Amino acid sequence: MTDILRTIDARGLLPPEPMELTLAALDEIGPGQEIVLLLYREPYPLYQILQQNGFGHRTELQEDGTFEIHIFHAG
Amino acid sequence: MVAAMSFDQAPPISVPLRFFLTAPLFGCAAGLLVALLGGDLLASRWSGPALAATHLLTLGFMLQAMVGATLQVLPVAIGANVWRPRATATITHVGLTAGTLLLVGGFLFELPLLFRIAAPLLVAALTVFILAVGRGLFGGPARGNTVTALRAAVPALAITGTIGAALAVAFGWGNGWPLMLLTDLHAAWGLIGWGLLLLAGVSFLVVPMFQLTPPYRDWIGRRLPLGLAALLLAWSLAAAAGEPAAALRDALSVLLGFAAIVFAAETLRLQRLRRRKHVDATFLFWRTAMLALIAAVGLALVLVLAGEVPNRGLVEIAVGLAMLAGFYVSVITGMCYKIVPFVTWLHLQQRMARPPNMNQIVAEVSVVRQLRVHWAALAALAAGLLFPPSLMLGGLLFAVSCAWLEINLAGAARLYGRLSRAAAA
Repeated sequence: MTDILRTIDARGLLPPEPMELTLAALDEIGPGQEIVLLLYREPYPLYQILQQNGFGHRTELQEDGTFEIHIFHAG
Repeated sequence: MVAAMSFDQAPPISVPLRFFLTAPLFGCAAGLLVALLGGDLLASRWSGPALAATHLLTLGFMLQAMVGATLQVLPVAIGANVWRPRATATITHVGLTAGTLLLVGGFLFELPLLFRIAAPLLVAALTVFILAVGRGLFGGPARGNTVTALRAAVPALAITGTIGAALAVAFGWGNGWPLMLLTDLHAAWGLIGWGLLLLAGVSFLVVPMFQLTPPYRDWIGRRLPLGLAALLLAWSLAAAAGEPAAALRDALSVLLGFAAIVFAAETLRLQRLRRRKHVDATFLFWRTAMLALIAAVGLALVLVLAGEVPNRGLVEIAVGLAMLAGFYVSVITGMCYKIVPFVTWLHLQQRMARPPNMNQIVAEVSVVRQLRVHWAALAALAAGLLFPPSLMLGGLLFAVSCAWLEINLAGAARLYGRLSRAAAA
């Protein structure tokens, strides 16, 4: 069971605040934990950073157009 | 931790920046040419100087900035990779810049030789750009309304370029091709096909993102790009068929105008529904652009629907001014003021722990001042249609406005250079 450490609702924030908040929160993620980012778009630059720095992600598209991005340590 | 993160797949900052820094210089040149010509510009939209000023804006300002935006938007916003971004940017930038200067020279001095050199340069630049971008756009798994719009826009650019090359051949070698028809097709595919489709695609992404509005309604996002492309294709066939299909062509013109107004009206509606009621200069550049688009389409429809229009040539020039200086230059300027600081921030982020806030990269107060000069330029240019001496003032103000844009964007580039060097030391 994954423990949701924090949910960052970035739907009302101007770029680059969503990325700043997410990157700042990465250090806090422990084993078995994840953070959830809420956005109205897919954050491709963030995906690249996550992948290249040992984090995995899973994205779900909600009915209202919100992308729910779950971020966790890969492997 | 954060500062050490890698951004390997994002294109180097020089890839988009060179286009954004070149575009305003051509805008400046266009303004100075208008100031120099004054009332002579109103003789006809077909005159050499009018075509030179038009291409300084369309190829020099608009296409430069749009190429930069495409190269930036594809990988960062859609996740599609451009083929060898550095090489693509270098070839496209050099070919487009040199080709535009030669073409404008050809129009101004009526020298066929310049058309003969400009045409292959522009064709080479566009071919490399279209192939490099097409590979990422059509080859990748990317989906969504922005991707659909860009997939329609890029073939429209190929069509615009092909007809433009045919026109350059006609000017360069004088082969007797139907210039009026080819010019209409070239302008329609460039301004409604490539230009509007690209801007719609980019707007679907950046308006909700940077102005915190709800997303474009799905039926608009999904149907507008392909609908516009299909209408344009049908319109072109009807236009090529000549007088027998004139009624069909006019009906299709009305539908095309309606589609453009739907896009403008939806953008204005979203702006009203934004979640933060903050009004910044970008917001106003965007709003100015949408109102100008509605005005341009309204005037164009008067030309289509009313058989006899007094001063038809003048109204045609008014449509061109509203479309190019009012719509495209405004919206592209607004776009540059979001994309350039964002890209600067994104690249600084990988080099230093605390990059400056995006609002500090280009000072808002300087953007607001440029907006006021841009508004004054548009007003003076519009007044110039009725009172020609005002065109000189309009041209000068337009040149000042573009120079101001250049200074603001170059400031972001200098800041990037200074901070990234300091971080590396």
